[in-house]
Amino acid sequence: MTYYLRLLFIIFSVTYGVAQEKNEIEKRVKKDEIPKQAKEWLKDAFEQKRRTKWYYQTDGVKEVYEAKLKQNKHLHSVEFDLKGNVENIEIKIKENEIREEAYQGIFDYFKSNYTRYSLKKIQIQYTGEADDLEDLIDEDEIENLVINYEIEYYGKTDKNNTLWEGLFDANGKLIEKRSVKLKLTDNLDY
Amino acid sequence: MRIYISIIGLLFFSSFYAQENRTTFGLFPEASLSYKLLKNYSITHKFESQHGFYDTENLNEELEYEHTLTDLQTFIGRRITPFIKVDIGYQYRIEEGENTHRTIQQVSILQRESNFRIGHRVRIDQTFFKNASLLFRARYRIKGQIPLQGESLDNGENYLTVSNELIYMIQSGEDDLENRLTTALGFYIDDKNKFEIGLDYRTDDYLVENRFRHRIWLKFGYYKTL
Repeated sequence: MTYYLRLLFIIFSVTYGVAQEKNEIEKRVKKDEIPKQAKEWLKDAFEQKRRTKWYYQTDGVKEVYEAKLKQNKHLHSVEFDLKGNVENIEIKIKENEIREEAYQGIFDYFKSNYTRYSLKKIQIQYTGEADDLEDLIDEDEIENLVINYEIEYYGKTDKNNTLWEGLFDANGKLIEKRSVKLKLTDNLDY
Repeated sequence: MRIYISIIGLLFFSSFYAQENRTTFGLFPEASLSYKLLKNYSITHKFESQHGFYDTENLNEELEYEHTLTDLQTFIGRRITPFIKVDIGYQYRIEEGENTHRTIQQVSILQRESNFRIGHRVRIDQTFFKNASLLFRARYRIKGQIPLQGESLDNGENYLTVSNELIYMIQSGEDDLENRLTTALGFYIDDKNKFEIGLDYRTDDYLVENRFRHRIWLKFGYYKTL
């Protein structure tokens, strides 16, 4: 039996060592580690104090801090560079909250490209200067902001059966899409 | 982490509470190997083995090793959508007395939430014996997987799993229920290598009078995909 355990331990430690190359990382960080500027922007924009979770994220090239908080029952993800400058805001919305200008275009795209589709997650993404992004939060103004929609959807065609993440512009035109690879489910299935 | 400790505590508590019934304890290693066959098809081989170390029915209630059983399984699965997978499988069980054959059919459904995911599994299986009639079982398992660092699981991070499975079985007109509650700490080495270590608490003979049984397994499993 101890032989068994030892063998398992060895296999485990070897694979663990080999597999340390990392590309995408996302981890919780404490509030103290966040640049003051980021925390101040958040305080000015959201005014009331809110429960905020802070994350550090990197795709191997770009590094950002992300604040996640809720306002008006909507989940907001606010992205900052490492110096604390706000870069963009993503707000999770429902299908019927897509702005009119975009709605038609987005659904025309789905209807003409897939035999069956379902939207899994919709985020409206605002990019712009710090002042304009602040106006969005505290005055609901969208002046000077670039609006995009990031939509995770499942689309079925005759050949394909894939989960996608599509980026649409303010008029509902597809800018780009990439397939989303879901994590393996072997430990949930067997 | 705190949840994890309380669940283990709860498992142990329930085992002490149930001392009058039959209780066994043992080790339960398992390993699975999966690989792609064609576009939407995959094969999974699984090995699991139970080794008993303690049984309240032993005369002296002392530690005594016993190889309980070893299962060798193979599944062929087809992914219907990114969230739904169906499998058919076969199991050969090595056990004292009689080795048995089992056929398995299952559907697994993946449910994703923002910071955890849930796997639902509905399975039916049929076990064939030489001198006894067919054992039929229907089971449902729900298993949650929660990252312990941040909202998404990255290489080298840990996760927690909690699962419960309810099993209904019937053989020659007599039926019974079994429940399996497990909790484990998972090591996400990368997507193709996962290691889980935890406790598996099984209770059965719910519908048989005076024969309620508890089995507690220290389980460790490796999930490998090529």
